[in-house]
Amino acid sequence: MAAQSNNPVVSLTDVSKTYKLGEVDVPAVKGVTFHIPRRRFSVIVGPSGSGKTTLLNLIGCIDRPTGGRVVVAGQDLATLTDNAISDFRAQKVGFIFQNFSLIPVFSAYENIEYPLLLLGVSAAERRRRATSMLEAVGLIDYGKQRPNQLSGGQKQRVAIARALVKDPEFVLADEPTANLDSHTGASIIELMRRMQEQYATTFVFSTHDRQLMSHADETFTIRDGVLVDHVTGATSC
Amino acid sequence: MLMLKIAARNLFRNTRRSITTLGTITIGAAAVMVFGAYITYIQYGVQTNAVQQTGHLQVFRNGYFAFGTASPGPWGIDHYSTVLSLIRNDQTLQRLSAVVTPIQSLAGIAGNFENNTSKTFFGVGFVPSERDRMKQWDEYGTESRGLKHSGLHDNDLSKGVTGMGLVRILGLCDRLHLDSCPRAIQPAASLSQFVGDDRPPSANLADLASRDKPEGDAATNLNPTIDLLAATAGGAPNVVSLQIANVEIQPFKELDDNYVGMNIGLAQDLIYGRGEHKATGIVLQLHRTEDLRAARARLLSLFKERGLDLEVRDFTDLNPQYNQIIGLFRSIFSFITLIIGIVVLFTVSNAMSMSVIERTGEIGTTRAMGVRRQGIREQFLVEGSVLGVFGSTAGVFVAQLVAFIVNHAGLTWTPPGAGAPVPLRLYTNGVDALVVLTWIGLLVVSAAAALIPANRAARMPVVDALRHV
Repeated sequence: MAAQSNNPVVSLTDVSKTYKLGEVDVPAVKGVTFHIPRRRFSVIVGPSGSGKTTLLNLIGCIDRPTGGRVVVAGQDLATLTDNAISDFRAQKVGFIFQNFSLIPVFSAYENIEYPLLLLGVSAAERRRRATSMLEAVGLIDYGKQRPNQLSGGQKQRVAIARALVKDPEFVLADEPTANLDSHTGASIIELMRRMQEQYATTFVFSTHDRQLMSHADETFTIRDGVLVDHVTGATSC
Repeated sequence: MLMLKIAARNLFRNTRRSITTLGTITIGAAAVMVFGAYITYIQYGVQTNAVQQTGHLQVFRNGYFAFGTASPGPWGIDHYSTVLSLIRNDQTLQRLSAVVTPIQSLAGIAGNFENNTSKTFFGVGFVPSERDRMKQWDEYGTESRGLKHSGLHDNDLSKGVTGMGLVRILGLCDRLHLDSCPRAIQPAASLSQFVGDDRPPSANLADLASRDKPEGDAATNLNPTIDLLAATAGGAPNVVSLQIANVEIQPFKELDDNYVGMNIGLAQDLIYGRGEHKATGIVLQLHRTEDLRAARARLLSLFKERGLDLEVRDFTDLNPQYNQIIGLFRSIFSFITLIIGIVVLFTVSNAMSMSVIERTGEIGTTRAMGVRRQGIREQFLVEGSVLGVFGSTAGVFVAQLVAFIVNHAGLTWTPPGAGAPVPLRLYTNGVDALVVLTWIGLLVVSAAAALIPANRAARMPVVDALRHV
């Protein structure tokens, strides 16, 4: 099954990914083709081991496919060197991780500022954008706190701000509510949805969370490494 | 800057491990610097003793040093006062030299015939006032406590100095009232009881000596007199008497048991008699050792210009033990430095490896955010270097503290080549090169120790790093 879209931010064509475990080849994604539209809240759903995270890794340019073609933001990743892909990620892709993955020696403010430092943004501009982002996620009073001084929900808010501060082509979130209680998870979903609309960016999630699925504009269902369903504007599971 | 900030903060992330690693580098750096300061002190001490004794440079007739020491008479420098004037009047050498003075080496038999004892000796004749000036040389402030004044005078040819061992062997300790010189032990039975009444061979020498000997010194409070027998340049035996004005303990037993120092005039009388007086060598003591090369070059150029067949030897040639002692200490220093370097290498490497393991997830995150492999590698190299900088810098202060304590503890010791104890000093001033090299060396070792963990971190696949728990 192939999902089609006009001017997609991500295009996967017959993409496959096989891991080698010792002498055994383990296929994680098998010939998947789909396109993720721009400025949408897209969700990749499926049971554990179905290949969601592998797909997200391929989309996020942190893994390379063993077959097929991945085009992200108009760029065919197969043509890029490792350094070029790193630079590409720095500019175009924002990540939100299940376990927050904030840099522990940085304050909340510095964590948000860090992607801008990697892009060589001026100090004044960094300050403006990081402060604005801290405010947007409701943590303006927590800028100096280190991650270990923040709650799970606050950490994820910082992670969202960090992902969005560089104004990426799209944000990838791998089960962003998995480590949060349902109440906090709901507020994080709310925040992400609001930010997606406010910044008119593209969000792509992998999730089990039904709350999150209910907010999706696009839902891609994957099972055993194969795309089995694509629904626009409603949840399919 | 960002890397430095991250590195500095990561130091405090696992405080105990960082303190252990920093402590190792600090102690290692301090140990290298303190031991280096000690070696420098040894070098300066040995050099000071050597230069006080033999000067920086000595001029000989070409070939004397290799072949002529057994017969100094024939190898004497003809018209040495002309050569002396040539050196003393040269503007370059005048500026570089503290003392320019002639010496006459000699060897023979020293006898105390009142005690029926005799002993081979080797000695040197010198200008007493200039020898005393030479003993004031202390470029490095080692406060060498060797005998500063020989008790000899330029116009008094009758007096000399000897090694403690020589006066002991000649049975003169009692007469000289030397506390540290043991009383002579007499043999159980006289040799004449077994061999008859033949006089020992030395008796003939005693007869010879008695002709020149001042009378009655044993009955007075005058210092004792010994007789020196040597072959003249022409090969005939000659004897002079020498009153022992002073005793100088020599650094080595062989020298101490054989040394006789005297006015050069007396030495020349003994070797040349009434013939032309020559000198075995001309000693140059420089103000600063670093001028040695320039002074030697100037001397050689001067001799070449004048067609003089003379050779120049420096204090390391004249005191072969100097290079042996310095070489020994330097090899020990190198060995200790190597061991410290290896310990620091493994300690830092271990700390950085642990850090890479603990921060695998963080490595994955930063790589996902766009940090290049080289960026990760540099980050860990910077962290290793920061450990090296902090540890080495702390080591400099610890070394200064140790040196301060040692230098103010009033410790003394007798270094190799010295005849008397000297204050124990750790030279931390004037060893800037040692401090800088140690600092840089341990910084490089720390950075090198981080190289393998840094490469491992840089090569980590992003996906695997992110998956790490």
